[in-house]
Parts: sequence; structure tokens; C-alpha cells
Amino acid sequence: MISFKNVNKWYGELHVLNKVDLEVEKGEVVVVCGPSGSGKSTLIRCINRLEPIQKGELFVDGMAVHDKKINMTKIRADIGFIFQSFNLYPHMTALENTTIAPLKVKKMKREEAEKIGRKMLTRVGLADRMDHYPTQLSGGQQQRVAIARGLTMKPKIMLFDEPTSALDPEMIHEVLDVMRDLAKEGMTMMAVTHEMGFAREVASRVIFMDEGTIIEVAPPNDFFTNPQTDRGKTFLQSILTH
Amino acid sequence: MLETFNFRVILEYMPLYGQCFLATLWLSALSLLGAIIVGIIACAMRLSKSRALSTIAGIYIESIRSTPLLVQLYFFYFGLPSMGVMLPEWVTGVIALTLNSGAYYAEIIRSGIQGIHFGQIEAGIASGLSYFQRMRYIILPQALGATIRPMLGQAIILVKDSSLLSLISIVELTRAGQLLTSERFMPAEGFLTTAAFYLVLYYMLKAFSGWAEKRLIFREAH
Amino acid sequence: MWSFYFHELMRSMPFFLKGVYMTVAVAGLSLIFGTIIGFIAGILRAGRNKPARFIVGAWVDLIRGTPFLVQVFIIFFILPGIGIELEAFPAAVIALTNLTASFICEIVAGGIIAVPQGQREAATAAGLSYYQQLRFIVLPQAMRTILPPLVGQYVLLVKDSSVVSAIGVVDITRVGWLTVQRVPEGLMVFGLVGLLYFAICYPLINLSGFLERRMTVASTKL
Repeated sequence: MISFKNVNKWYGELHVLNKVDLEVEKGEVVVVCGPSGSGKSTLIRCINRLEPIQKGELFVDGMAVHDKKINMTKIRADIGFIFQSFNLYPHMTALENTTIAPLKVKKMKREEAEKIGRKMLTRVGLADRMDHYPTQLSGGQQQRVAIARGLTMKPKIMLFDEPTSALDPEMIHEVLDVMRDLAKEGMTMMAVTHEMGFAREVASRVIFMDEGTIIEVAPPNDFFTNPQTDRGKTFLQSILTH
Repeated sequence: MLETFNFRVILEYMPLYGQCFLATLWLSALSLLGAIIVGIIACAMRLSKSRALSTIAGIYIESIRSTPLLVQLYFFYFGLPSMGVMLPEWVTGVIALTLNSGAYYAEIIRSGIQGIHFGQIEAGIASGLSYFQRMRYIILPQALGATIRPMLGQAIILVKDSSLLSLISIVELTRAGQLLTSERFMPAEGFLTTAAFYLVLYYMLKAFSGWAEKRLIFREAH
Repeated sequence: MWSFYFHELMRSMPFFLKGVYMTVAVAGLSLIFGTIIGFIAGILRAGRNKPARFIVGAWVDLIRGTPFLVQVFIIFFILPGIGIELEAFPAAVIALTNLTASFICEIVAGGIIAVPQGQREAATAAGLSYYQQLRFIVLPQAMRTILPPLVGQYVLLVKDSSVVSAIGVVDITRVGWLTVQRVPEGLMVFGLVGLLYFAICYPLINLSGFLERRMTVASTKL
């Protein structure tokens, strides 16, 4: 489904992605973790070309994302992207946030878009908040609206960039619950997160990155209980002792 | 002086003042419309990726901001005929007002757009919205809410600036005062009445500004 | 023909330089007096005395609600009516000072109000009087907010000074107006006029922007 082949990216002199090779199968749930500055956010932001790559090849569902000439609109319409800071549109209600892209990008009819939007908002547990504005919602609720917004496009892939990092602790589980359900239903997911409980439950693989390179790839239980590399060990110690 | 304030003369000149009040309104409204359009275009040029367009818009905006309106007005009033272009005075006046306020509107709109959180635009990109769709549904609606107050502020400035049109013989509110002064030697009656009319316009616009802000703020639930 | 007019224009350069001197004189004097009066008015506007706040506020509103040209005419034509004979230059300085002071008043008041309440509470707890607080605690901090728009106001002052040409003050604009009667090349003459104003205003605008950026950095360091 997602295929990184020798992907390299630089920010000026800084080599943020270094010879990355990665294959994500359909229906897989992959968790990416690592210290800050490791390139993990950049990795998933390249998938829908929020960031371009300079070298290598990136394929999403068979389409060449690295090709400058390709039409990203179709590809992006099939990918749901969840940001750390939610990025909901403040001047639209929750429902309007979910329907704007289906209406304008997928050119759906209004009744159909609203039907799906309502269904997705109900699915994330916000049936009674559809006409609320983002400022009237808590952080956890806003992030769930963001997820509903992604789902209303009926995507093939869902990408999460530290979805719970900006939330107060008591709101983290409501977002993780939604993500867990999605994973169990077979959605192809890639998530940058340190939530190990979530990773253990639903991830098929954990990717550990540092300084732009993939250091370790292992099933979550293996990685969390017995990391093979020194850097992996150091990283786990740092997140466990806090 | 107050005892000799001649209200009768003012009443006599009321029809003229009425006409001139409408003239000021009409000239201002026309220029305002033009200025907003020019402002949007100039702002789009300034923010575009093309260096040529951005530079042209930049030169336009900086020239207007660094020179007085009166000089711009005289520039067109004396300059256009020397190029062979003969226009009625009021057209020249409207052109000068439009181009002047247009530059300021371009800056106001630019700061409104640049004040929007980049994350929103990213969310728009990520869901596949095109540049124009992002502009239309995400950026412009929010920029509008943020800039309503400075835009109406500039509108008030424009109405006051229209007084300069009296200096190129256009018959509007200030000219009415000048006429009362030159015809009847009563500058007090003439210009104080003029001032009163402008104050009416000023408070009307301020009230509208307050009402518009309330409506927009309610809509955004901020 | 064009080169003949250009030659004539160059011969008028001394005249233009006199105009520059006049503009600088009018603007400079108004700047000094306007700043002093503006600061005093601003302190009153942000102060504890309610009647003072109201009166100053009403004065500011009157000035903001009417065009500067009308204010110039009122001062020049009407003051003689109550016994104050005025020539063009003093009338111009009075009008421009009045205008500048009212805008600076709002800038200063805004800067004072922006200083966090906690600062005053700390100073009160330490036993400082109201005026001591103002002088040592509030105003120094307010200056950070006040300085950039203050410089911006000086730019406006130079531009607004062009309006006094309407009552005969021989500033850059008036020199242009007189010259274009002899040298009917409006574009050239007022192009030059514009350039002269640009030379004065453009650096000031950049100074204002520079100050704004520096002030923001300084406050975040805190």
C-alpha cells in the first residue's frame, strides 16, 4: 500500500530522511516512534506530500508520489491525515468541517456528504456535537472531529502525526479508543506516537527511527520488551522513566 | 461670534448641502468599491509566487504609502491631460481615491491572510482541496472576520479623504463650505455645517462597524 | 517639447528645495508640539479622572470624525472671527499640531493601558504614588508599545502636511501646483513632488517597521 524506496530528504544541510526503505501492507497498522528530531513526523508527512522528497521513490497505492507531475488531489482524497494540533477550521461547525472536502474535492452531493459526515461523527462518539464550533469543544473532542473529518472522505489510508501529544492526559484515551476501533476494522494506518499500550494492542510493527534512519523494525511486544539496538534501549528507558 | 451665527443662511443653503452630502456619499461609495477590488487584486499579486507580479504590486503599494493623497490627486489631475487623456474631474477624483485606498486595502487583506494559522492550510492541502478551494472556503472567510475593523477604518478615512476632491473643483461637502464662504463671507456657518455633516457620516460608519463585528464574531463563535 | 519642460523643471529646483524646507518646518514644529500635547492628553485619557477622560475623548472624536482639510479651513478662516488673526503658516502649524496630538493621544493611551495590571499592583504594594508609578514603571514599559506606531504617525504627519498647501503655505505640494501652471507637464512635475515626499517618508516607514520588529523581540526575551 505504501512503499518507500531509498527515500532521502534534506532541509538545507540537514539530512532528515536517510535512505529510508519501508513497505506497509494493506490493513497493516504501523507505529513510528523515536526521539524528537528523528524524522518520524517528516516520514509520514511525505506520504501525502505535505513535504516533498529529494531522492528516492515513494509509492502510495501504486501511484508515484515522488513524481512532480502527478496529480496529488486524487491521492490526498484517499488519505486521511490527523495533525497533532487538530487544525479544525474554526469558522465551521463540526459537521461542516467533515463535509467541506467531500463536497469540494470528491464532488459529492450535499445529502450524501452530510449523511456520511453524521455517521462518522456518531462513530467517534460526537453525535450530539455536530453543530458545535471547534472553540466549543474540548481538545479530545476536537481531535475526534478531526478523525471524523478524515473518515468522511472514505480513505484507504489513515495517517496520524502525534495525535495525542497535545491533549491533556484524561482525554488521550477517548482518541486512542477511536483509533483502536479503526485498526480493528482493518484500516491501513500509520501513526507517529509514543502510546505503547495502543501499539501493543493493534500495531503489527513498530518502526524506531533516529536521526533520519530506521534503526529497528519489530513487532511491538518484541521491541518494547527486548530492543535489539543500543539506541533503541536508550530511547525506551527515556520514555519509561517519565 | 455665536450670537451672530446665521442659521437662516444655513437653511437657505440646505438644498446645496443635501446635494453635496449625496455627492460625497456617491463618490466615496464608488471609490470604496473600486478600492476593495484593487486591493484584492494587488494583494493576490503581492502574495503570488511570481516575482514579477509581486514586485509590481510592491512598487504600487509602497509608492502610494509614501506619498500624500493630495499629490497623487494632482498627479492625475494635471498629469492625465498632459498625456492627452481628458476626463471629467469626478472621474479623476474617483481614480485617485480608488488607487490610494486600494493600496491600503491590499495591506489590510495581506495581514488578515497571513494571520491565519498555517496548520489550517495544511489540513486543507491534506484533504485534497485546491489552491482556490482553500482560498474560498478556509482562508478568505477567516481573513474577512479578522479584517472587518481595519477595513471599515479605511472606509472612514476614504470618506474624509474625499474632501480633497473639493480642491479640484468637484462639488461635494467641503466645496459646499467653500461656496458659502466665498459667496456670503461666512466661513463659520459654511465649514461648521460641513463638519457637522461629516460627523454624521462618521458616526453612521462607526455604528455599522460595531454591528458588523458583532454579527461576524457571533458567526465564528469566537 | 518634453526636454524643454524638463529643462524648465530643473531650473525650478531651488524653488522645490524651498518647498522641502517649508514642509520640514511645518511638519517638524507640529511634530514637536503635537508629541508634547499628545503625550499629556494620552496620560489624561488613560488616567483616573473621569471628566478629563471624557473631554479628551470627545476632542479626539471630533478630530477623527472630520476631514483635516475642513479643520484647516476652520482654523484659518474662523479663528479670525473670534479675534485671532492668523497667517497661513501659523494656522497650518496649529491645525497639524492639533491633528497629530489627537492621534498620539490615542497611541499613548493605548500603550499605557496595555501595561499589565500586575505591574501597578506591585508598585502600589511597594508604596509608589500614582505619578511615580506612571513615571518609573508604566511609561517606560508603555514606550515599547508606543514607539513603532508613534514613528508611523510621523509619516502620516508629513503626508497630511501637504493639505496645508490649500491655504497657501508654500510647501512641496504648493510648489508643484504653482510650477505646473508654467510647466504644463503634470506627470513630470508631480512625479518630482512625489519623489521628494517619498525620500522623506519611505525611510521613516522602514524605521517604524524595524522598531516594531525589535520591540516584539525585546518583549519575548522577557
